[in-house]
Amino acid sequence: MKTVRMFAFLALLVVLVMTMTACVAPATTTTAPAAGAEVAATEAAPAADAQAPVKKDKYLIGMSQANKGEPWRQAMNDQIAAAAAAHPEFEVVFADAAQNNAKQVADVENFIQQGIDLLIISPNEAAPLTDVVAKAYDKGIPVIVLDRKVNGDKYTMWIGADNQLIGQKAGEYIATWCKDQGHTPCNVIEIRGLEGATPAKERGDGFRAGIAGNPDVTIIASQNADWLREKAIPVSQAMFQANPVVDVVYAHNDPMGEAAIISAENAKIDLSKIAFVGIDALPTPDGGIKSVMDGKLTVTYVYPTGGAQAIDWAAKILEAGEKPPATVVLETEEVTKDNAAELYQKYGGK
Amino acid sequence: MGQTTVVQPTQESSRLSKFWIFILRFQSYFGLIAILVLSAMLSPVRNGHNIFLDPNNLLNIVRFASENGIIAIGMTLVILIGGIDLSVGAVLALSAVGAASFMMRNGLGTLPTIFLVLSLGSLCGLTNGLIITRFSIQAFIVTLAMLTIARGIASLWSGGYAIPLAFGDAPGVAPASFKMLFAGSFTVGGVDIPVQIFYFIGVGLIAGMFLKRTAFGRHVYAVGGNETASRLSGVNVNRVKTIVFTISGLLAGLAALLHAALVNQGSHIDGNGYELNAIAAVVIGGTSLAGGVGTIVGSMVGALILSILDNILGLRNIPSEYQMILKGVLIVAAVLLQRQRR
Repeated sequence: MKTVRMFAFLALLVVLVMTMTACVAPATTTTAPAAGAEVAATEAAPAADAQAPVKKDKYLIGMSQANKGEPWRQAMNDQIAAAAAAHPEFEVVFADAAQNNAKQVADVENFIQQGIDLLIISPNEAAPLTDVVAKAYDKGIPVIVLDRKVNGDKYTMWIGADNQLIGQKAGEYIATWCKDQGHTPCNVIEIRGLEGATPAKERGDGFRAGIAGNPDVTIIASQNADWLREKAIPVSQAMFQANPVVDVVYAHNDPMGEAAIISAENAKIDLSKIAFVGIDALPTPDGGIKSVMDGKLTVTYVYPTGGAQAIDWAAKILEAGEKPPATVVLETEEVTKDNAAELYQKYGGK
Repeated sequence: MGQTTVVQPTQESSRLSKFWIFILRFQSYFGLIAILVLSAMLSPVRNGHNIFLDPNNLLNIVRFASENGIIAIGMTLVILIGGIDLSVGAVLALSAVGAASFMMRNGLGTLPTIFLVLSLGSLCGLTNGLIITRFSIQAFIVTLAMLTIARGIASLWSGGYAIPLAFGDAPGVAPASFKMLFAGSFTVGGVDIPVQIFYFIGVGLIAGMFLKRTAFGRHVYAVGGNETASRLSGVNVNRVKTIVFTISGLLAGLAALLHAALVNQGSHIDGNGYELNAIAAVVIGGTSLAGGVGTIVGSMVGALILSILDNILGLRNIPSEYQMILKGVLIVAAVLLQRQRR
């Protein structure tokens, strides 16, 4: 009887999986439908960037994401999908590695197997992904690397933002703000992102370089909250408790900045006296631009995902045969109450 | 395994042993006193005012212990019957997304939302319990599966971003009563007491009495102590297990209501690692992972100890890595001390 029960359970499981694969839209599954004629064409292509493009009517693009669970990366995927919608000849398939390097290597191998025409990848970590990216590149598949980097130079181009520059701009804003407000000294508490991820280090270093212009600005406390709003609430609460005079909260990303606002409200601190700085400025309902519009965060900085740019360059590479620059550094934008509404529209916020 | 045996000491060491046995019996309480004293001593002092002992700070400690504490109470019951529930963090996230979705997207009021969210949490727990008992699969595996399934559903439901909660009386926003009910404060004698504390203590009292005073409570200890013997004694082991896992899910749902009201959003990535924090609180509180031994109050004290740790390290501006190391050391120390009791 136990065996019968087990088989019944397994059968139910198989039926469930089949129903789900049938129902889920192709763009979000890791298994792409048959590539068909394009497979032959890709294997015949030489391993060079500049080549007379063989104009096809359908291109298969594989997007390997490091961790879809992070809102910023979900936004990257959404922006790629939105940009690809304007190119009916592009079909983009997404794979998610959920922070697992080995899975991401398997994802890319899978894409190569399926005969993709171009690979977009945001690698979880540089060293583990370098080899498989080089393999794709050597096979003649153009590779666009987004945000995080791989080692070596076996890829077509890298698109990303400059965290050091963003941190510096935030620092310069605060240096000016403190001077305008006449705070001497100007007390800053810093809520950092995950230590060990280069963005946290760069945003921190850049900020310190930016505030150097105003000697009254001092960072009186600095704690790590792993980019998470829920972690940043008790962390910022303790910082407010230990430091009665706080003029500026510098959070390495918007969720942590929002957490500091919640803590300040709970501690009955006058919010209007404090400058809350965030980074990321996602155009989502829970993102930084909306927060600035609602008068919560004082300022935030756009940390562009590069998703739309990746599709633009994919079109140029595949259809116009252009040889792209090796590095494209994306600009950031400062989001304040003055321009928040306009930027929300610009980045496609609903 | 299950009975605490008091070893009869020899004449010479009798007084010392008795003292040691007394300490061990109330290990979690003494641990709490020890960490309170240490923190008060290490606390930064401003204008002769000890920051750690400031009433607001102490209230904050209990407030931030409440969410984990409520989940830990459910986890205590699960561990008492010899099981484990790895899905609580994910169920919290799913319930929080649900709460935000019901109020912001579906325009439901506070009471319907509470009912639906608690039902959702209970349903997840019930599913865990049923699969564990009907298919005889280990709790570890079933709750691990529920963890990933719940996160997946939460992600689909929210659409990939955190659903923000705006409170007010206008249509299209969540009712202000929800915020007041789960993240407000109650003024008692001039002191603002955060409501989370009432839920924490309330759930603790109910669960404690449940365990100590009802037949069901005795069955819980019996199943954890010796499952075969209890089954032979006529206890419906499957029913006890299913109910316990349902309660665990229910309490995760309650914690989700507190969580959503605090962070003003329902996010599918929230609650990550909450199951481990709950297990840490339970273990530090003196409950044995083998089952059959432990108290609700112990777990509540464990949750408080963890919250104090967070707090004093934050006040002293010490990097969170040290907190992680200390947490691990505390857990092992608690288990070692507990083993001495046998």
